[in-house]
Amino acid sequence: MEYLRYSEDGIRIVLGNTIELSVNKAVRRYYLYLKSLRIEEIVDIIPSYCSCLIRFDPDAITFRNLVSRLKNEETHISVFDVPEPIIHEIPVEYGGETGPDMGFVVSYTNLSEKEIIAIHTSNLYTVYTIGFMPGFPYLGTLDQRLYVPRLETPRTKVPKGSVGLAQLQTGIYTYESPGGWQIIGKTTSTLFDHTKEPYCLMMMGDKVRFISI
Amino acid sequence: MIEVIHPGILSIVVDGGRNGYADYGVPSSSAIDLSALKILNTILKNPTFAPAIEVIGSGFSLLFHAHMTCAITGAKVETVHNGESFNTWTSFEVRRGDTLKIKNIIEGFRYYVGFSGIMDIEKTINSFSTNLECGFGGFKGRPLKKGDIIGIINPRIETSKTIPEDIIPNMKPPHMIHFVKGPEYTYFVPKILKSLFEKNTLSCYKVSPKTNRTGIRLEGIPLLFKKGIEKSIISEGVLPGTIQIPGDGMPIIMLNERTIGGYARVGVVTRADRDLLAHLKPGDEVQLRLVNKNEAKRLSKRKNEIYWAYTKTMKEVSK
Repeated sequence: MEYLRYSEDGIRIVLGNTIELSVNKAVRRYYLYLKSLRIEEIVDIIPSYCSCLIRFDPDAITFRNLVSRLKNEETHISVFDVPEPIIHEIPVEYGGETGPDMGFVVSYTNLSEKEIIAIHTSNLYTVYTIGFMPGFPYLGTLDQRLYVPRLETPRTKVPKGSVGLAQLQTGIYTYESPGGWQIIGKTTSTLFDHTKEPYCLMMMGDKVRFISI
Repeated sequence: MIEVIHPGILSIVVDGGRNGYADYGVPSSSAIDLSALKILNTILKNPTFAPAIEVIGSGFSLLFHAHMTCAITGAKVETVHNGESFNTWTSFEVRRGDTLKIKNIIEGFRYYVGFSGIMDIEKTINSFSTNLECGFGGFKGRPLKKGDIIGIINPRIETSKTIPEDIIPNMKPPHMIHFVKGPEYTYFVPKILKSLFEKNTLSCYKVSPKTNRTGIRLEGIPLLFKKGIEKSIISEGVLPGTIQIPGDGMPIIMLNERTIGGYARVGVVTRADRDLLAHLKPGDEVQLRLVNKNEAKRLSKRKNEIYWAYTKTMKEVSK
């Protein structure tokens, strides 16, 4: 495993360089194991498609000492008991006012709205990473037939709960925000609630199935 | 209690940041000039990262409903307290019925206003900081408005202190920002990197008016991607101070509001210079200079020494 410096307070652990379930599974294993260690000098861990980025407190531990500590732990990672991912069912109202880009997706893909909904709801997606905004899941992989580009001019306001497509990803806006994904529907599920622990409905590596309502 | 008479251009409650939740996509949203916040709380005898108000723009004004000590650090400002004018960084006693007004900003961009006592607001996800984009944390999840009243728990009177002028960091443009190489440094044409970041022979960047609390956009000579390099990366974690390069080649310095990014990361601002990012205002000239890890460490050590000099000076004053 490679431990790369990221400025003075970061360590980047790269486990691959492609968007692939096997790579992401390795990231998840590493992330969950690292989190379970509760190392005090680690401020944050950011797992994503192919890597884990650690932010540590350089006034409390040096890069070298933290890396040697992490190296010592390596042998335990493969035997670490990784919990099963949770499957989340997310109800979505497709098209109409809540899916303003459905028309574009229909014309771009040459599929009917019905076919698009059928394809979008048939996959069991993986939460590759969470970011962009609190609780926003980057879900993949999208069926090739639903490939659409991002909006040329991002919207200034995308409503909370909007379900969008961008290249081979699909995702859910957890807060109203500007955004460039093609919006095909809206969910009533709350994915992130800053007033209640554990705040975030999904964890990286969880599974998602969309249900048309 | 304190009452907001005028919020300036933008004023929000901040603290040391919302740490430990980046895996859920929750950014730190801390004060951008963390040293200014630390010094503010040190002179007020508060916990180091107690909440304070981060303000942009002149005109900010408060009415005090209790007797306490107030302090201002960060950007150098001209403060008017009961008709008397003075400069920061300083703490001073205020009485019930007093008003405070920031008349003029002399140098820098963001200033921090704090009180001896703890602001009576609730933590959200373990922090007082305002997440402006999502509308949570801080004071009701939003910027302060005229008429807002914030309680101060156990307000105290502390000895007034003034930080000596020569210890206050330089915030005047043109700014020199030091950075270390980021993961995608090699994505760019070496000749341009060299003239921009090593020799600084090419002209400065200018801070774009599109800059906000999420990122500082720079305008100037674009970086060129090497031929055949995919411009966007597979989305990955970013830390505060990361310099991202989107397709147009113009740098964006990420502040404390993002955990994931999809643009090439040419560099990361050194720890020593991250506070200064709070004082880059639209139109300012900025030079980016590449340093190696040893130089970054040296800059950080020097900065820490200055910080210790502050606290030492303060101890002497309070004797």
